[in-house]
Amino acid sequence: MRSRVPGAYWLCAALALVIALASFVAHRNRSYREREEARALAAARAIANRTTRSPDMVAGGLVAPAASPPRYPFLRRRTVDGRSLGGPGAPADDKLLYDIAQRATTHAIVEPADGDSARFVAAIPGPGGAVAVALVEPPSGPESLPVFLLLGLLALGAVLAATRRSALLAAGGAALAPVTFAWGGPVPAAATLLLAAAVAAARHAGLLTRASSELRRNRIAYTFVAPAALAMLVLVAVPFAVGLVLGFYDHRHGTYTFVGLDNFIQILSGGGHALSDPLNFYFTLGVTVLWTAANVVLHLTIGVALALLLRQTWLGGRGIYRVLFILPWAIPNYITALIWNGMFQSEYGAINGILHSLGLERVSWFSGFATSFTANVCANTWLGFPFMMVVALGALESIPRDMHEAAEVDGATGWQRFVHITLPHLRPALAPAVVLGAIWTFNMFNVIYLVSDGQPGGATDILVTQAYRWAFERGERYGLAAAYATLIFLILLVWTIVGTRVTRKERAA
Amino acid sequence: MKTVALVLLALTACASSDDGREAVVLWHSYAGEERAALEEVATAINERSTELRLVLVSVPHEALADKLTNAIPNGNGPDLFIYPGHDRIGDWVAGELIEPIEYYVSEATADRYSPDAIGAMAYQGSLYGLPLAVKSVALYYRTDRVEEPPATTDELLAMGRRLTTGGRFALVYDNADLYGHAAWLHGFGGRLFGGHGELTIDTPEAIAAARFAQQLGGDGGIVPPGMTGTLVSTLFNEGKAAMAISGPWLQAELEPDVPWKVASLPTVSATGQPAAPFLGAEGVFLSTRAHDMDAAFAIMDELAGDDSALRRARRGRQVVPNRSAYRVADIGGDPVLAAFQAQAEHAVPMPATPAMRMVWTPYETALQKIIGQGADPASALGAAEREIESYLQGAGE
Repeated sequence: MRSRVPGAYWLCAALALVIALASFVAHRNRSYREREEARALAAARAIANRTTRSPDMVAGGLVAPAASPPRYPFLRRRTVDGRSLGGPGAPADDKLLYDIAQRATTHAIVEPADGDSARFVAAIPGPGGAVAVALVEPPSGPESLPVFLLLGLLALGAVLAATRRSALLAAGGAALAPVTFAWGGPVPAAATLLLAAAVAAARHAGLLTRASSELRRNRIAYTFVAPAALAMLVLVAVPFAVGLVLGFYDHRHGTYTFVGLDNFIQILSGGGHALSDPLNFYFTLGVTVLWTAANVVLHLTIGVALALLLRQTWLGGRGIYRVLFILPWAIPNYITALIWNGMFQSEYGAINGILHSLGLERVSWFSGFATSFTANVCANTWLGFPFMMVVALGALESIPRDMHEAAEVDGATGWQRFVHITLPHLRPALAPAVVLGAIWTFNMFNVIYLVSDGQPGGATDILVTQAYRWAFERGERYGLAAAYATLIFLILLVWTIVGTRVTRKERAA
Repeated sequence: MKTVALVLLALTACASSDDGREAVVLWHSYAGEERAALEEVATAINERSTELRLVLVSVPHEALADKLTNAIPNGNGPDLFIYPGHDRIGDWVAGELIEPIEYYVSEATADRYSPDAIGAMAYQGSLYGLPLAVKSVALYYRTDRVEEPPATTDELLAMGRRLTTGGRFALVYDNADLYGHAAWLHGFGGRLFGGHGELTIDTPEAIAAARFAQQLGGDGGIVPPGMTGTLVSTLFNEGKAAMAISGPWLQAELEPDVPWKVASLPTVSATGQPAAPFLGAEGVFLSTRAHDMDAAFAIMDELAGDDSALRRARRGRQVVPNRSAYRVADIGGDPVLAAFQAQAEHAVPMPATPAMRMVWTPYETALQKIIGQGADPASALGAAEREIESYLQGAGE
């Protein structure tokens, strides 16, 4: 068994074969295309020069310049060799001739005629707007794969590798490099050589053996993890990476250009907008921070207050209240947001209706920043306090009753008991909830978009809604929107790191 | 997801059909009677044709545009599709979604339609679709509150002051929307783009039009404050509004006991020009990735043909652009269809350039400021023009 061909060779040969085959297909298509393009161009040139027409040509001729009826400048009729193109019963290739003549007004075109690229068509513009067009059909197909050559080279490589010396293993793995060079040039050939060298070196160092035994030993663990890892990769890692990369590109009409840090510079320099302009990044950032702070403070106070209230023993039907208070949280937030938007309608909304019936002036909620912002905060407070209440209720359960009783015996007032017993016990549970709640609020797209929709004039937009508008309302500037998203991510990353530190200290204290 | 599944189902259904006829797949977003009319047309086409079979696939309206831009470049799209406006043609041409069809279209075919309708299907010297229906707003009025519709804007204002009392208003329309405002803009002689595609947002004409809208909808005006599109039908139905400016789609939302008629919009007194709303041409378009262009166009030609137009006008109540249809007594004599057809004669096709998409939001922000907060029209429109300009530069137009 000394002469057995090592597994490392087969690994190397399989990869090298992939490179070689890819090079061959590219080479074959290129040379076929060059051959057919030359034939098509020659046929078109023969028409343009009015010499003997090529026997390769299956359709074509001299296409006259387009003529438009005066009333319809967008209708353009064309003729080929005096015959009208198109119309009832026209040959199937007429549209092909018409389309390429339409495009070849200033320069020659040669390209595959149909999707399957077997036939080629060429067009050469001539004097007076006429276009010489020729469609050619290939007499023979592209060259076929030299199977025996490849098999021979692989066998030669196997013989070399069977000596089980690392240097000869490398030489065997590189056996396909010469043909790869002939088909694909230096880059794939160099890749083949590097591959062979790398596999030989890895085998020499024993890396391959160790990796395969590691895989074999923990096979079950890797099998269990694989589906989840794959899902995370496809659903989280890939979109995240695409988003990060997109921030360095500029998008116009479906083409992306690399612009380096331009998007970030444009955003962080304010983009030429005054600081009081909602399009200025710092204005929106300020609004976002204000929005987050206002909401978290309200969620926290209302949530904790209600939790304390629901702990009171004199209150009947606490279970019912508990369910009622959690309801806003259970309803999908966009439905709630739409309802609040309706209630804040200036003429027919419920809130102005109440104000009006109390003899007060109707408020045009969405035409001023302060009122519009207030409307957003109202809607989001409604959505957000149940979470804090639930967290606080849970934390309150964990406070031993005897502590309160002991304090009461010592003569502590209700306020003193709240400050010195309840609050210190609530803090470790509420700190992570605040970190999390702040992140949710910071990115609360639905409420902003559906309640105020940024009115007036984008002033109540937050960073995520601005990013959305750059992507979908201001000319598909995906790159700029992605840069916004990256900045939002960085801000929240810093916030999370700081927040976790504080929480950890809280726990330790 | 459900619609994707439906589409896949429909595609596999037509691929596996074995009656030997070639299937042409059409995506549309019609609902109700319009959909029934299209199905009737499809049945008629399929009975007539021996070689082709038209397969209809219904896609929800709000998803149609996205589905088309995603599916067609990947080869999963339809052969033909119906889109309820021509204003995205520029985008589709830039994205190579739709095929120019002037190779197929003869002068006689083009002569079937009103010039504005077929003209709306053209972009940069090529023809990209055949028109199925024209859509514009016109003036609805309740005959129990208005005897004769106003002929001029001066009459409208005078009537408006009489009719606006105690929570009742003379007129409702979506005045913070550029689509609703366009009629005044054009009536005052303004346009969004100049002859060379340059922006003309804060011209004297546009400022005069905005000032008129402010007069209508501002303090002491005849249009209720805080108007949105959804309020139009409610207020008109409840009798809180005597007149409404809206399109053919409003009919479906009107209660049966509301007495109403439709008329053309009034003439702008300051210029003597009729108020001219946006004309949206609904069309059928040919995908660049259609399986068989010739077959697909043959179907397209029938869909936009005169026979189909009669069915769609009768059953689907569409304002068809086919001139011959109005020579048929029941369609030419239909007061609603004839009124919208008359309004379509005084309408401005919506610009189809991709730049148009940057215009909507800034212009509407300006309208909100002008009408809702009494801002100065000149400065608000000036700010809008600068904002749009900055977007256009960013997008490299």
